[in-house]
Amino acid sequence: MNDKKDLIEFLINIGRLKRKKRKGWTVLHNIKNSESTADHIFRVAILAWILGQEKKLNLEKVIKMALIHDICEVYAEDETPYDPVLPKDRKKIKEIIKKRSRTLYSLKEREEKLKRKFENEFKALKKITSKLPRKLRKEMIELWLEFENRSTKEGKFVKQLDKMENLLQALEYWKEQGQIQRDLWIIAAREWCIDPLLIEILNEIDKKFSKKRKFSTKK
Amino acid sequence: MEEKKYHLTKEAFNKYKEEYKKIKEELRKKRIEMKESRDELWRPEDLNCDYEPLESELISLEVRLKELENILKNAIIIKNNKENTPKKVTVGTKVLVKVNGKTTDEFIIVDSLESNPFLGKISVESPVGKALLGKSEGDTVIVQSATKTTYKILKISYE
Repeated sequence: MNDKKDLIEFLINIGRLKRKKRKGWTVLHNIKNSESTADHIFRVAILAWILGQEKKLNLEKVIKMALIHDICEVYAEDETPYDPVLPKDRKKIKEIIKKRSRTLYSLKEREEKLKRKFENEFKALKKITSKLPRKLRKEMIELWLEFENRSTKEGKFVKQLDKMENLLQALEYWKEQGQIQRDLWIIAAREWCIDPLLIEILNEIDKKFSKKRKFSTKK
Repeated sequence: MEEKKYHLTKEAFNKYKEEYKKIKEELRKKRIEMKESRDELWRPEDLNCDYEPLESELISLEVRLKELENILKNAIIIKNNKENTPKKVTVGTKVLVKVNGKTTDEFIIVDSLESNPFLGKISVESPVGKALLGKSEGDTVIVQSATKTTYKILKISYE
């Protein structure tokens, strides 16, 4: 770092994630007082520590990976898989989230969306890390690429933790506020979860959140 | 880098091989470009300008090349005879299912390396992949924890 000014600038930029609401909860599910990107990162990092230890993974690596996995969102848009078909009408949004996003548009469009998302996020990552010392910047970029490409056992693991945290948050909102297609989230989780330990935890989460929510849906 | 075997279809293997060639060539060009930038911009105050984005590109290409080398080195090519209709669900087969007796869904069973449920590619190591593996058309499988989901296999084909 050339100057302490660069560190302060980086911290201010990263701090924006404490206020950035995650788009899926607000736009798709109309959740009140929904979490920020930093809230999500916090619990993924805790998961990485506890479960990474149990899996005997390189803890420093998995925790660092969890901490940086979404920092690109300082500059990149927080996208949802429903974005290309998202109607403005809330009633219509309620209808489309009852379906799996992959059934709503073609494979080619989904591939292009993923490619674009990767490019935007990588660009944003380069921007946010640009003033950091060379070694640190290199480490962050490599960790992010391992996470995105799931090319190492740590990358594969943290990617699943990212989704597991998302599932846990979804079910917490389901219990508190409704608005979540609970079974659809569980069905989807059983497709992306591949680690035996995480499959066990997924089943426990399913059990914990299997009871019907207590609040009334009547208005 | 993770040292594990990857079960890939011939098409997937070739796709990675092509990408490897492309990245290798791109990397060679970027290294030359980088060297030229370094020669021109050797003063420390210039290092935050053109040199850094180029360096980030280089890191990205190097990481991907390493990943691809690992994939190609550890790949096991699955021999699917596409002339025939598959009788059972295996890696590389496309499965059409009815979920919970209501909606139909279609996906391909793949190695975890290629899995991406958003693209309809489900890992053979996932609970859904494991439950369907080895099953035939007409079979119904149940994936259950607290939530029970049934999958009736309507059709199996090659990708």
